[in-house]
Amino acid sequence: MTDTTVLEVVDLDVDYGTGGGATHAVRNVSFQLAQGEFVGLVGESGSGKSTLGFAIAGLSKPPAVIAKGRILFDGKDIASMSAEELREQRHGGVAMVLQSGMNALNPVRTIRNHFRDIFEAHGHVEKSEWDARAAEMVGKVELPPQVLARYPGELSGGMRQRISIALALSLEPQLMVFDEPTTALDVLVQHAVMDTIIELQRRENFTALLISHDLGIVLESAQRVMVMHEGQIVEDAPAHDVLRKPKDEYTKMLLSHYADPRGKVVELPGFEDRAERSKKGASRAATAAHPPTVSPRERRRDQKSIVVENLVKVYPPPRRGESEVRAVDDVSFTLEPGASLALVGASGSGKSTIAKLITAVEKSTSGSVHFGNLDVAKLRRGQFRSLHRDVQMVFQDPYAALNPLHTVEYTLTRPVVNFTKLRGQDARRRVLELLDTVGLSPVEEFAAKLPHQLSGGQRQRVVIARALASDPQVIIADEPVSMLDVSLRAGVLALLEDLREQWGVSMLYITHDLLSARLVTDNIMVLNHGKVVERGETAEVLQHPKDEYTVRLLDAIPNPRKVA
Amino acid sequence: MTTITETQQVSIAKAPGPWSVFVRVASTIWSNGKARIGLIVLGLFVVIAIFAPLIAPYGASENGFDRSSDPTWEHWLGTTAAGEDVLSQLLWGAQVSIFVGLVAGVLSTLIAVLIGLSWGYARGFGGEVVNFVVNLFLVIPGLPLMIVIAAYLSGGGIAMIITVVVITGWAWGARVLRSQTQSLRSRDFVTAAVFSGERPFRIVFREILPNMTSLIVGNFFGAATAAILAEAGLEYLGLGDSSVVSWGTMLFWAQNSNALLTGQWSLLFAPGLCIALLATSLTLINFGVDGISNPRLREGKTR
Repeated sequence: MTDTTVLEVVDLDVDYGTGGGATHAVRNVSFQLAQGEFVGLVGESGSGKSTLGFAIAGLSKPPAVIAKGRILFDGKDIASMSAEELREQRHGGVAMVLQSGMNALNPVRTIRNHFRDIFEAHGHVEKSEWDARAAEMVGKVELPPQVLARYPGELSGGMRQRISIALALSLEPQLMVFDEPTTALDVLVQHAVMDTIIELQRRENFTALLISHDLGIVLESAQRVMVMHEGQIVEDAPAHDVLRKPKDEYTKMLLSHYADPRGKVVELPGFEDRAERSKKGASRAATAAHPPTVSPRERRRDQKSIVVENLVKVYPPPRRGESEVRAVDDVSFTLEPGASLALVGASGSGKSTIAKLITAVEKSTSGSVHFGNLDVAKLRRGQFRSLHRDVQMVFQDPYAALNPLHTVEYTLTRPVVNFTKLRGQDARRRVLELLDTVGLSPVEEFAAKLPHQLSGGQRQRVVIARALASDPQVIIADEPVSMLDVSLRAGVLALLEDLREQWGVSMLYITHDLLSARLVTDNIMVLNHGKVVERGETAEVLQHPKDEYTVRLLDAIPNPRKVA
Repeated sequence: MTTITETQQVSIAKAPGPWSVFVRVASTIWSNGKARIGLIVLGLFVVIAIFAPLIAPYGASENGFDRSSDPTWEHWLGTTAAGEDVLSQLLWGAQVSIFVGLVAGVLSTLIAVLIGLSWGYARGFGGEVVNFVVNLFLVIPGLPLMIVIAAYLSGGGIAMIITVVVITGWAWGARVLRSQTQSLRSRDFVTAAVFSGERPFRIVFREILPNMTSLIVGNFFGAATAAILAEAGLEYLGLGDSSVVSWGTMLFWAQNSNALLTGQWSLLFAPGLCIALLATSLTLINFGVDGISNPRLREGKTR
């Protein structure tokens, strides 16, 4: 151990539970962090990266148990410290910023009180200097001192996350652990907060450990990167080495899922570049390395398009004295049968509201939505079936979109029974067909499962299968891959693309992720504050963006190759 | 297609039917220490109520014995002023309390579920009307309302008592279930059910209701406890049918004959203790209820 080593982890095992039924979340992990180093820790969900982060900060919660090994911070073992010792070392020791820092603030206390609590608990700041120090701290995260008088509920998500960083920083820690500090934030805000963290680390020269699922973000900010897979660190190297010459297969796989949506040619595993493909007139299925999951079939004859004209949705003011919110402002477009249109924008741009208006989940303020001859705005509750037979939705969060108490079979049987004439054995055969279509086999086994027995990617496939049960003409996919691990995204996107190509289903693809939009759509509309700021062919718009907002969205995408 | 038929049987067996839900609920409650004590005490009372004709040494209204006698070997708890055996009355009386608790608990839970869930799911004017009615029942003081209704329906016996308890007891449960319904209503899987073409009735009772099992079961035990206490209270005040033998009427007659002044404390103490024990057992069971759907609700939220 050299003088500059701040943290040394030796042969660490962290288990959930004890005895035979224990799950080994972290296995045999050893590494060192030097003073002033910025290290990234990357892994997909379930890799044990957060468990490791919590263990380092001394915040392991039961049933997590440090089964083996040592965590030496300043030469002292964190694992064997008592609660009071741990509390005392928080000042000048290890601080942690959590993923949902916005929820880590107490909603009934002002920001100033949050700072006072810390100063009072540790007594490292004179009482007379409390306010000045708090103002200095929020200044460091680029916020004005006025926010001190505010309550957490009055601040945006990005501001709250900055506050929680400032709170962690006010303990003058030697080591800061950032656990997915920007994941819960909007894309544009994400970028700004990340910049603040990098800038702060350079100025204050603390040691930082950035935990993230996004290799792009980590490579952009960290000097050294550790890749974690199934509880083990499979790669530990300087950032540019990881990018240029990754040693581990897993790292290579993660890297292969990044591409610059601005590029002339954009490819991912399973996806050839769209322009190249259409030149050859080939479908994804014909060019992809993996065979398509969807078999071709005859297109429906009476296909209808969705026509949206001058759509406006105004929400009442969120608080008294504020102005009303124009979530969707004069939006018009047509979704032709078999076409794919991307609707992109940051959160609050109104893209999800448009989806709700098209599917009659909410009523528009003015303007019209037509599906064929059907005027969506005039539908009554009892007539929803006539619309949902043909227009279906894929939800963003596969963890919330399935009822935890129903088996996959029940979930899929309901739309089959409601929308088709199939009953009993026939309905069941159809359900199994659907499962086969979305690539969940053996089908009988999956049919009997409950949602919590499935992974995120599998759940999203069930959600897609449910949307297909009525044999719809239009699928509205609201951020279908944003909650999934990078390696799972390509598979779900490929499935959606195959459905469109082989079945002639048209797709409205709602996302903030421009790379996936480039892969699966022909046309794109960029929304900002409910208004369409740019539209055109996806490849054209992304390569030569005209509006400044589109440029900002493109810049916000973490891309490891941008560093190179 | 034989394979499909076979697997269908397998998966149908695995699907959560009403019976497996019951088994799950029962085993979850049993696994909690406090709830286990409650279940044992409750079980004891149920056994007493069912087998009262066999256990009780005498009939409930058999009144040929010495009046107001102290405990003897013939009459372990003594006799009443009317010459009835107190122990026999106590054992027979368990029937009434448990019956009233069960029926009134089920009925008021049923009303609370029906009103609470549909009220929570519906939006608009109908909800406002229900809101007004429920608030009305919540702000009217319960005991005076019970007394007024009981006096109005006088002479109805146990059925009347149950009616009064249900009328005054459903509103609180309805409000609790309504707020839970409102929070579940905005979840994605409910919207997804709309997209699956489900009718509102099915959404409420097949998608939302199973996610609130613990609340509903808890509500039932709470309502049953309240019903048992209210029944005893009303009868003690003489508002029930005083010819029925129950713990409440025992207290009523004991008070009438000034049992405490004559030193016959067991006349008041025995039925009072039984009421308290039965109510406690139900409350203890409620501790175990929390665990029923919480882990499942958490599963819906895990990331």
